[in-house]
Amino acid sequence: MIGVLSYAVFFASIVLILAVLALGLNLQWGYTGLFNAGVAGFYAVGGYAYAITTAAPKPDMIGHLGWHWSFGILAAMAASALAAWIVGLATIRLRDDYLAITTFGIATTIQLVTLNWESLTGGPNGLAAVPRPMAEAFASPLGFNLFYLALLAAIVLIVYVALERIVRSPWGRVLKAIREDETAAIALGKSAVRFRLEAFVIGSVLMGLAGALYVGFIGFVSPFDFLPIVTFQVWAMVIVGGSGNNRGALLGALIVWGIWSLSGIAVAKSLPPHLAAQGGAMQVILIGLLLVLSLLWRPRGLIGEEPMVSHHAAESA
Amino acid sequence: MMSGPLAHIPKKWIPVFRKGYAPTLGVITALAATVLLAGTAAAQQVTCPVKIGGILPLTGSMAPITKKISEAALLAIEHINAGGGIKGCPVQFILRDDQGQSTVGVDAAKYLVEIERVQAITGTVSSGVTAPIIASVTAPSKVVQISCCSTASPLTTDGRSQGYFFRTLPTSKTQAYATASEMARRGLKKTAVIYVNTDFGLDMNRFARAALPKLGGEIVIEVPYNDNQPNYRAEVTRALAAKPESLLLIGFPKDAVTIVREWLSLGGSQKIALNNSMRVKDFVDGVGARFLNESFGMDNAQVEGPQVDVFNKAFEAKYKYDSKGPGVHTQYDAVMAIALAMNIATELTGPAIKDAVRRIHTAGGTVVGTGSEEFKQALELIKAGKPIRYSGATGPFEFDPNGDVTGPALVWKIENGEIKTDRIISIDDMQALFKQVGN
Repeated sequence: MIGVLSYAVFFASIVLILAVLALGLNLQWGYTGLFNAGVAGFYAVGGYAYAITTAAPKPDMIGHLGWHWSFGILAAMAASALAAWIVGLATIRLRDDYLAITTFGIATTIQLVTLNWESLTGGPNGLAAVPRPMAEAFASPLGFNLFYLALLAAIVLIVYVALERIVRSPWGRVLKAIREDETAAIALGKSAVRFRLEAFVIGSVLMGLAGALYVGFIGFVSPFDFLPIVTFQVWAMVIVGGSGNNRGALLGALIVWGIWSLSGIAVAKSLPPHLAAQGGAMQVILIGLLLVLSLLWRPRGLIGEEPMVSHHAAESA
Repeated sequence: MMSGPLAHIPKKWIPVFRKGYAPTLGVITALAATVLLAGTAAAQQVTCPVKIGGILPLTGSMAPITKKISEAALLAIEHINAGGGIKGCPVQFILRDDQGQSTVGVDAAKYLVEIERVQAITGTVSSGVTAPIIASVTAPSKVVQISCCSTASPLTTDGRSQGYFFRTLPTSKTQAYATASEMARRGLKKTAVIYVNTDFGLDMNRFARAALPKLGGEIVIEVPYNDNQPNYRAEVTRALAAKPESLLLIGFPKDAVTIVREWLSLGGSQKIALNNSMRVKDFVDGVGARFLNESFGMDNAQVEGPQVDVFNKAFEAKYKYDSKGPGVHTQYDAVMAIALAMNIATELTGPAIKDAVRRIHTAGGTVVGTGSEEFKQALELIKAGKPIRYSGATGPFEFDPNGDVTGPALVWKIENGEIKTDRIISIDDMQALFKQVGN
């Protein structure tokens, strides 16, 4: 049973890391209506910032500062904030599809930078020997994974509670107003650009945090961790779980990664050995089928957005 | 509003019981429970069947070449089982897809190690997926991992695998040096290099850049390209601007076809040197056989010999097409190496198997080859305590202290649409070449 526990802990850790990504995207899309198709880019910025700041110094590499992992995580969040701020300033006035294409292009650019800037990022070979938080303190992989799961759970809890507070705050209500009817919001004196930029940056900070947590978990980073499929997966999580709802984002992360992972197990267990080579195709078909079915069954996501009724309407009723 | 038996409980207290959550979570949990609990087994005693794990990119951009690779693995398992299995038990091979994505690959590896309790894994192809698997699963859990096809040099040289990672294909150095020597032998001058911007392409380019000038050639421009693009006109134009007289193309067949066609249609020379991935019919047909008569390529040589023939025949008999292609022979040898090591090991644990891997090629041992008959013989020798020397589908290879193999190289050419072997560069010639280039 130790094996099942080990795997479950590992699985849960990946779900929590992806959940942080989903929470970030949910703030950008679900609450503010920003179509960010460049999730993988900010994920990469955070992941690499963590690796570059915490890896041990090496003569021909830039960075490699050997910092403590907690500072590495903070550095990742700061780097994503900066990247998002720059990207945001340039693109925040764009609507929907235009923002989507731009952010997708930016994510691809970031991935290409990581692929080419060898002295900073290690190029295609990536950066190995990235310190994993407290890894030396644990003799067995299970011990380390349990510790890391606890760390992730604590971080996700803090992020979730913080997000719930800010979306229920006046700031959060303005985000919704901008998403629903931007002209009306501007007419009421709110600067749509400022709020959208803030939501974009905060969401991207969360994505950078997820990147740091992922690289700290694996102990290795390379450009191939941040392919566009990651953006697709996180979007699926937000849509399937229910956009505009933080619980939806968490649930979506569990469901979508669960589909991805367990479909592979189900296929490996149910196919006879001589068909094993077809297993991959079967798994991909199964993933697509489950995603489509889930959306057909609950088109608005598993947990819809909570309807908010104005206080004033309640008073006058 | 909520209806039903739980209507009186405030929503925010028990979110998981809200309508819609429960069925979906239920499905996931049921799925999880079935698959997880069905696969638990004791770790230390030899319980039959003995499981070996496999991770390959069965889908994704590498899928076209992986089909044959996975078939080679399955053929090896068949031979192993027909020849006596491992420690008297039949072998169960559990093959998972990594989809070319590192997170999926790491998840699959963890599943194999923890739920299926495999003591050895073969996998995978892309170095970008092999590396995180080593870092987060096989090295910490002390599970032997033998890859057929990951070429990034740091995987074996920087010590991250703590000795648990091996690979049955020579790294790009062998291929690059051999390609350079063949280019020099054919008198190719003023070469443009177009290479795929991955660790494989970068490594090959770096080694080619080191070797070619020392052997009498000249590189006039190096142009990287990113894979999976629909069009490579920009890269080809840039390469042609340097007025090259030959091309060294390093990459994978699908994009290579696009590049070569663009190159030829813009007036590029037909003197093209290719790497091993292009040694497939799809490439020849895609470009057009009549344009490729002056082209040639390299591959790690499957030294011709009885052992290689046995493998090739068995493969063709089972799958009805030839065994040519990247990774096919190395994958067969990777699985055979695992099975032999597991039989030699005193117990089926990671550390014991790791120590046994190099005892499959003991100097002076009795030569055992490919196929189920030879495997049966190998088991008898192992039982009698006699040393064996495995000579596989890639010939007689040896794992060096890092876990790499050295081997001979093969030059192939295209003649009237057929891929033919031109000549072999033996291990000794390769050693001499390494010395000449200065390593």
